[in-house]
Amino acid sequence: MSEVRIAAEPRTEFGKGAARRTRRAGKVPAVLYGHGTDPRHINLPGHDLMLALKTPNVLLRVDGVEGGSELAIPKSVQRDPIKGFLEHVDLLLVRRGEKVSVDIAVVTTGEIAPGGVLEQPLVQVSVEAEATRIPESVEVDVEGMAVGTQVTAGELRLPAGTELVTDGEALVLQVTAEKTAEQLEAALESEAQPSEPAPAAEAEAPAERDAE
Amino acid sequence: MLIPRRVKHRKQHRPDRSGRAKGGTKVNFGEYGIQALEHAYVTNRQIESARIAMTRHIRRGGKVWINIFPDVPLTKKPAETRMGSGKGSPEWWVANVKPGRVMFELAGVNEGVAREALRRAIHKLPMKCRVVKREVGEA
Repeated sequence: MSEVRIAAEPRTEFGKGAARRTRRAGKVPAVLYGHGTDPRHINLPGHDLMLALKTPNVLLRVDGVEGGSELAIPKSVQRDPIKGFLEHVDLLLVRRGEKVSVDIAVVTTGEIAPGGVLEQPLVQVSVEAEATRIPESVEVDVEGMAVGTQVTAGELRLPAGTELVTDGEALVLQVTAEKTAEQLEAALESEAQPSEPAPAAEAEAPAERDAE
Repeated sequence: MLIPRRVKHRKQHRPDRSGRAKGGTKVNFGEYGIQALEHAYVTNRQIESARIAMTRHIRRGGKVWINIFPDVPLTKKPAETRMGSGKGSPEWWVANVKPGRVMFELAGVNEGVAREALRRAIHKLPMKCRVVKREVGEA
């Protein structure tokens, strides 16, 4: 994975007022920590960071921090839930050759056999990989998978140099049978039935109402 | 219809309508979801109606998750009643939904079917919503 250079500037003022001023100026407050060092509070350029974070587990070369430039990976990204703006980023210091534990996405390719529904209880798996060689995702070919097929985390084909941290027995995906016509009819019929009133509402005595 | 099995107090204050969702703002279980863009009290009838709209459209395939639960009772005084004489009787069960909350999720169907199913469900809900897709690889 190639590294992305990003220019940081030290953050001197803290709190929500300062953080909001920073965001209004098009920057994102961030913190850099790891390897037992004291956390360093920095500001990062918002647009560059947004573009960089489009790559999962991107390797960042953070310039302009105390002690020269540092290599880091995003540990936690806080976004506005509606607008999607970056609010804060935690960066974890890494070294070349160091192994780090990260979550990577499980991506499916192909189409399952007709009559089945693909369920994916685990969309990400934790792996341990060299900081400079973190895979973006792990692919699972589901082409022609029949009903009843299951894939566990241990069966995933990870790239060389990557070790699984998630329990190998954890279910990643399975193919279950589609609802039969009878099951569907039964479900739709039960939906049409009026439901019972809430217990609290039921217990309410009409005498409580104002007689006027 | 979703209702609490038992409650400690039959009548509660109306919940806070300010702020944004603190959690549950991402699609976690399925591939697509309905995200609230405004605040609303979503009743159990609306939740059920949205679920039925979705399941009817996707028919046999797919799986639906409901991430909200109507655990707050709202009360109402009868019509033409003078003020006073205590709080009204419980009338609705609602979920207090704040902007950003992913309320429903859907998986196991193709994108076109999923978006149409969610669009139909959105019409049953009392606030502006949008369809969101699961983001992979976000730290």
